[in-house]
Formats: sequence, C-alpha cells, structure tokens
Amino acid sequence: MLKYILRRIILAIPVLLGVSIVSFMIISLAPGDFLDSYRLNPAVSADQVKNLEKRFGLDKSPVVQYFIWLKNILKGDWGDSFTYQIPVWDLIWRRVGATLLLSITTFIFTWGIGIPLGIYAALHQYSLGDQIVGVIGFIGLSIPNFFFALLFLFFAAKTGGKIFPVGGYISLGYDTFPAWKKFLDILWHVLGPMITLGTSGLAGTMRVMRGQLLDELKQDYVEFARAKGMPENVVIYKHALRNAINPIITALGFSISGLLGGAVLTENVFGWPGMGQLIIEALLQQDIFVIMADIMLASVLLVVGNLIADILLAAVDPRVRLRLG
Amino acid sequence: MKKFLVLLFVLVTALAVFADTVDWAIEDVAGKPGGTLFLSTTSGPKTMNPAWAQETSSTDIIGWVLDTLVHSSNKGLAELPGLAKEFSAKVTEDGKTVYTYVLRKGLKWSDGQPLTVDDVIWSFEKIWFDNDMTANGNAGYMDSNDALPTIKKVDDYTVQFIYNSKFRRGHESIGWTEILPKHILEPYYKEGKFKEAWSLADLKSVVSSGPFVLKTYKEGVRVVLEKNPYYYRKDKNGVQLPYLDQIVYVIVKDLNTERLKFEAGETDIYSPTAEEFPEIRAMAEEKGWVVRQGGPNLGSNFVTFNFNAKDPVKRKWFRNDNFRRAIAYAIDKQTLIDVLYNGLGAALYGPVSPSSGFYNPEVENLGFRYSLARAKRELKKGGFVLKGGKLYDADGNPVKFELTTNAGNNVREEIGNILKENLSKLGIDVNFAPMQFNALVGKLVATGDWEAVIIGLTGSVDPASGWNVWRLDGGLHFWNYSPEVKPKMFDDALKADYVVPEYEKRIDEIMRLQVSAVDKDELHKLFDEFQMLVAEHQVLVYTVAQNYLIAYKKSVHIYNPDPNPAAGVLWAGWNIWKDQ
Repeated sequence: MLKYILRRIILAIPVLLGVSIVSFMIISLAPGDFLDSYRLNPAVSADQVKNLEKRFGLDKSPVVQYFIWLKNILKGDWGDSFTYQIPVWDLIWRRVGATLLLSITTFIFTWGIGIPLGIYAALHQYSLGDQIVGVIGFIGLSIPNFFFALLFLFFAAKTGGKIFPVGGYISLGYDTFPAWKKFLDILWHVLGPMITLGTSGLAGTMRVMRGQLLDELKQDYVEFARAKGMPENVVIYKHALRNAINPIITALGFSISGLLGGAVLTENVFGWPGMGQLIIEALLQQDIFVIMADIMLASVLLVVGNLIADILLAAVDPRVRLRLG
Repeated sequence: MKKFLVLLFVLVTALAVFADTVDWAIEDVAGKPGGTLFLSTTSGPKTMNPAWAQETSSTDIIGWVLDTLVHSSNKGLAELPGLAKEFSAKVTEDGKTVYTYVLRKGLKWSDGQPLTVDDVIWSFEKIWFDNDMTANGNAGYMDSNDALPTIKKVDDYTVQFIYNSKFRRGHESIGWTEILPKHILEPYYKEGKFKEAWSLADLKSVVSSGPFVLKTYKEGVRVVLEKNPYYYRKDKNGVQLPYLDQIVYVIVKDLNTERLKFEAGETDIYSPTAEEFPEIRAMAEEKGWVVRQGGPNLGSNFVTFNFNAKDPVKRKWFRNDNFRRAIAYAIDKQTLIDVLYNGLGAALYGPVSPSSGFYNPEVENLGFRYSLARAKRELKKGGFVLKGGKLYDADGNPVKFELTTNAGNNVREEIGNILKENLSKLGIDVNFAPMQFNALVGKLVATGDWEAVIIGLTGSVDPASGWNVWRLDGGLHFWNYSPEVKPKMFDDALKADYVVPEYEKRIDEIMRLQVSAVDKDELHKLFDEFQMLVAEHQVLVYTVAQNYLIAYKKSVHIYNPDPNPAAGVLWAGWNIWKDQ
C-alpha cells in the first residue's frame, strides 16, 4: 500500500509540471497583461509603463517568464501579486478560512441530507415521497447558482434581514458581540451561500445514491440473502448499501479538490470573502502569479483527492484492495 | 522659594500647553458628534501605500487616512487649506515659480508623533519625486522642461518648492499629494522595501494624518475607520471634528446586493444607476431618503478614428474633418441619454466635462446636434457621394469600416448599436464588433491595427491631466501616434503618409503652454481655445455622460451644498454627522 502511495506521488510530479506549462501558456495567449489598465490611464506616461514592465518582468517572452517562475518556485518563491504587492501565498492563506468554512458546511449539508434522502427514495421507489424529493432536487439543480443566490438575497432583504442576512460574512455589530455570538453570527451568515451551493449538489448526490441502491437491490445476492431469511435491515444497510456507496466515495475524492476551489459566482453574490472572489479579480486583472498559485493548489488537491478516494475505496471494497495490493 | 517653584511649574505647564495648541481649522458647521456611517463598496483596498495604490477602492480609503497640504473645493479646484494653513504661488522676476506652504502648528500623526515639515520634505524627496518609488511615476510633478522642483526648508513650518520655469499646477500636483510619516516609513525605505510598506500584510503600522484612522480591515468583509483624536479641525462651536466616531465600508461584490443592503437600511448612502433612479426616487418619501442629482460625471465616452489606419483609403476618410463632423451629427445624443441613462445625463460636445470649472459652454454653440440632413451636407462637402443608398468617396470607394469597443461595457455597446443604425441611413456600412478589453488595449497602444473605436478615459476637472492624450508625443495619442513614439506601428509607406494637421499642432502647443500659464485668465483662454479646436474638428467625437446620482438616509447630514462629481458626496467628510 505504501509503495502504491509513493508511486502515485512520484507520478503526480510530471502531471503537475504539465498543468503548469499548459496554464502558463493559456495565460500568455490571452491578449494583454496586468499593465493594460495603466496603459489607458492618462496619468501614467508611456515611459513609466515601460519601467513597470521591466520591474514586473512582463517585458520578457512568455517562455523566459515561465522558466523564471519555475526557477523561483524551486527556491520556494511563488512571486508577488501585482495588485497587492505581497507574496501570493500570503494573499491566498488569508482567504482559506472563509472558503473552507463554506465548503465544509456545504459538504455536510449536501451529503448529510443527500445520502439519507437517496436511500429513502430508493426504498420507496415511485412513492409520493420519492417523487417530491426528486422534484425538489431537480429544482435545486436546474436553477443557476447566481440566480438562486439573488432570489435568496431578495427574500432576505424583503424580510428586513431578520430571517436571513443580506449577504456578507458578519453582522454590522459583530465587533461588540461576545465570543459565542460571534460564532453563531458567522454560522448564520454561512446559511445563504451554503443552501445555494448545497441545493445543486444535493440532487446529484441523491440521484446517484438512489440509482446505485436500486441497482444493488435487484442483484441476486440480495434475493439470496432475503430468501435465506436475513432481516431486511441487515440486507439493505449491511450488504446492499455497502456495495452501492462506491461511486459516492469516488465523488468524495473529487470534492476534496473543490474544497478550496470556492464557488466564484455564489461567493460574489453573497459577498463571501473566500478565494473565489480573489481568483476572479486576479483573472480579470491578469495577476499571473496569483492565478498560477491557485491553479497549482487546485491541481495538487485534485491529485491528493483522487488518492484519498482510491484509498477509501480500497477500505470499503475488497476487490479494489486486491488490485492495489 | 516654594512659591517661585510653583509659579515656575505653572508657567512651564502653561507654556507646554501653549506650545501644544493647534492652528485649528474652523468649519462653519454645527452638528452632533457620535455615530457610525455605513457605506458600501464593491472592492476593498488592495494596499494602503498611497504610492502604489491604483484603484479607487484603495485611494478612497487612503483619502480618509492620509492628508494633503491643500484640499479640493467641492468643484474640484485646489483652493482650500489642508495640512498647510496658508499656501501661495509666486513667479519671481527671473522666471522661477515658488510654491510656499505654511504648515499648521501642533499637527500630529495618529500615534501622537508630531507631523513636521521634515515629513513633507522626506515624502517628496525620497518617494514622490523618485520614479522608481511610485506606480504612476514622477512625471506629474515636472514642469514643461521635464524638470522637478528643488525643495527648500524655510523654517520649522514653512517649505518651498522652486521650479526653474513658470509652472501653474503646483497646488494640484504637490498640494494634493499625500504626506507620509517619515518616522514610520524611513526604515522600510532604507531597507529597500518601501513598496511592501502598508500592504495588506502590514496594516498595523499605518498611521493617520487625516480625519480617520484605519481600525480594522477584514478582506472581502469590511474596512472600519475610527475618528482620529488628533485631527486639526473644529466646528463653529469648538467641537473637534470629525463628528462621526466610525466609518464602516461594507464590501459587497455584487451591485444588486449593494442596493438590497441600502434598502434594508444596513448602509447609509447609495449611488443608484440611472436605471434604478426613478424607482429609488419613488421610494424615497416612504423610506426616508434624500435623493439628489448632480452634474454630469467627469469621465466620457467618445468615438475615435485611426488617422493611421492600415488601409490608405480609410485613413483618408478618417483624416477628413467633414467625415468626422458628419459622424458627430449622426450621433443621436438625446436618444442615448434617454435609452442609457433614463434621461439623467448630458450631451457632450467637447473634451471637458460641463461639471468642470474649466468648461467652455461655447462648444455647444457649434451646433453638433443630431441631424442626418446636416450629416449628409457635411459628407457632400467632404467629397462623398450618396448613390443608391450607399455612400462612396470621391474615388468611388464604398464607405465602410470596422467599429469596436470593449465587450461588456453596456453603455459603449449601446452607443455602437445606435451609431451603426444611424450611419446605415447615411449609406455607411459599419461592422460593429466589440472585443475583449485587453485585446482592444493591445490594438490601440501596441499594433495600431484598428479603424474606429468607442472608448472612454478617466476624466478630471483640469484638462491638463489629459496631457498624455493630447500632446503629439503623448502615450495615449492613439488616433494619430507619431512614428517616433510608436515606430512599430509604421511601415515605410505609412510613415511617408504621416500627417499632423494644423489643429493638432496647436492643441499640442496649448498643452505645453498651459503648464506655465500661471495667470488665471491666460489659462482659461488657452483651455477655451483647446476645447473649441477639439470640438470644431471633432478630433474625438464625444457622446454623452451620466449625471451624478446619489441617495442617502435623511438621518445623515451631509455638509455639501451641491454634490458634484468632481468631489463626490463624501467631500469634507469630517463635517458629516448622523442623527442618533
């Protein structure tokens, strides 16, 4: 097993290198650069733009820029953000907390509700409950996140911000609250973006769970177990469910890569101070090093997430374990 | 002996107190102290370092914290005292210009350290006058010979900036520059780390000379500013200003949310779009809002034609005055104002905004109002022929060109659509294709591979801040770059065909002359002529600008008789107070 993990990690290095080359290439292919807003600013002279190009290293060819970037990374320097003039990791770490809070609560919301609902729907196939759950799930899936977010905020504003807050991360009086109230205040604010993001994930999780469980329930071994007089609960929860859960665990691995990816549109609408906001700004301003750091972070998480998913799969499925051994 | 000691002690304390007195600036207001003003912004500051701050999201906050020698009037003119209680400009007999600033006594930074003339000198010598220390460079401080002034410390409170030539923009350039705290920033400077000073990672060391101090900043969430206890202003009842205890900027990424927050009462001031304005006005009574409308905004959108387009036939049209005048006649400004701004806007005829003190209303009398008949007449004068609904030039080439703008800018896209429609009625075939902003900038300033474009630039009260646009060697003279400035844009044929019209030469000359026009009348005359030249020849074909729109709670008392886009609603913000 350890050997397997080690091999996977070594194999990840050329993958990450490839990702960095391709992304750097795409960023360079995009027209213009960070200094374009300076170029159209009447207060900045052409000489000063040249001066800045040199300072930011934007006067060199993309290939040279890439190798300088790579060389600096090997030395542990990921570069400074052009806009903020501070190291990119410094910038990203500042946003990690809010993004993690949102993605973890969303994760709990989606899976905590989606899996039980999926099981319920499978066990009561074609019942009224199944239909209702399905319809609600599909509504959540079909409304675009940003629109759902706006509807949510509109509702919050019309009710005077008493039931749900009108976006944001903390209340106006946050600074005067005692510690427990500060904690609850943030949780209250996370509800909006969490529900917005969660509803779209919910339907997916639910339908996959439902379909998988239904498939398993039709298998011969289930019939066999039932025929042998095994209690229904044991048949369903110990045997069928365990086999049905495989694709959900694979999806879990992927969702680890999404933990820090953030949800750009939803974060923007709710004014949630996570990484999504930072990245969209960096993209608009072509703040290269911030974009690159974010892409690399997402790639590493994807690699790690897949690895974790495989290990988890091995844990639940003996067939996989055998293959890995 | 004891009595004497007591007397001495009293005398010394009295002297100490006396030495500590501030040269207060007295404001003609009477409000009540206390309260918090809640504002919304779509983006938080990127840095608190004024030399590296670019976006208004940063400079707006810095404006509360770092004071300047001279303040702007609510018309945007440099004429009110700030850190300097007195300031003047004099031209000496030998043609030098001396700018003198007398600092108030007893000024202090928010950490209690005195703010002295040494801070002023350090800021300019080490930072602002050094091209490598700032993002914008030091060109703004230079006279017409590209020379910086020398700095002279006259006494502990007086400093002089001496130019070797006649120079008129000192109070705008020097007077409006933030003074930096030497005692805090010198260590960074010496280590070569000035650029990183007061970045997000280093906000603890920010000190203030303005009405407010940066208290907390949580990125993406909010900025909290707190009253500076050492601020040098009092109201007429002797109450030290600012009135407000705090200003909180709530960071709201989405404009719709910004409005929802205002409607829910969470923020105090809101700038509605023209589209929302009637709705907001209708709700104002019931919600307890004040709704106001100011003059047109300073920025503007204009159509510009490439005098050096790759196609020799097309550049001949674009250089033709009659052609551009015809375009000006074909722009239906009133419809644009109605469609884009709900009628809340103004037509522009020249390069200076009607909100500026330098505006020359004469440009309106040139008569470039919407009229297709006049446009046709103008085209005829220019040698064009209308045949079978299509326009041809004197050589029989059908008139058609490409028009572009940056995609995503609704106003510019709408202008393009309406213009295309109107020009088709003149027999001109316009291919309107907006493109991505960065691609457009590349074409404008690097390759020169474009025909016509709708674009805007940041405007300001003083036309001279557009020198980079109007001078022949300017970095933004994109419709007619000279081959010296942009050699890459010109092949030999184009270079041979490069022409500078007389009016361009004169505009260039005016832009150089105005720098030394210390005399106000002389300056106004020059700028009047400049505006007339641009408008008469429609060098750039100006369109429309939206009016400055603002809504705020009745409980907020804003001491600003006339919210002008040049200064904004928060002008003299230390006077703002709020019913508790």
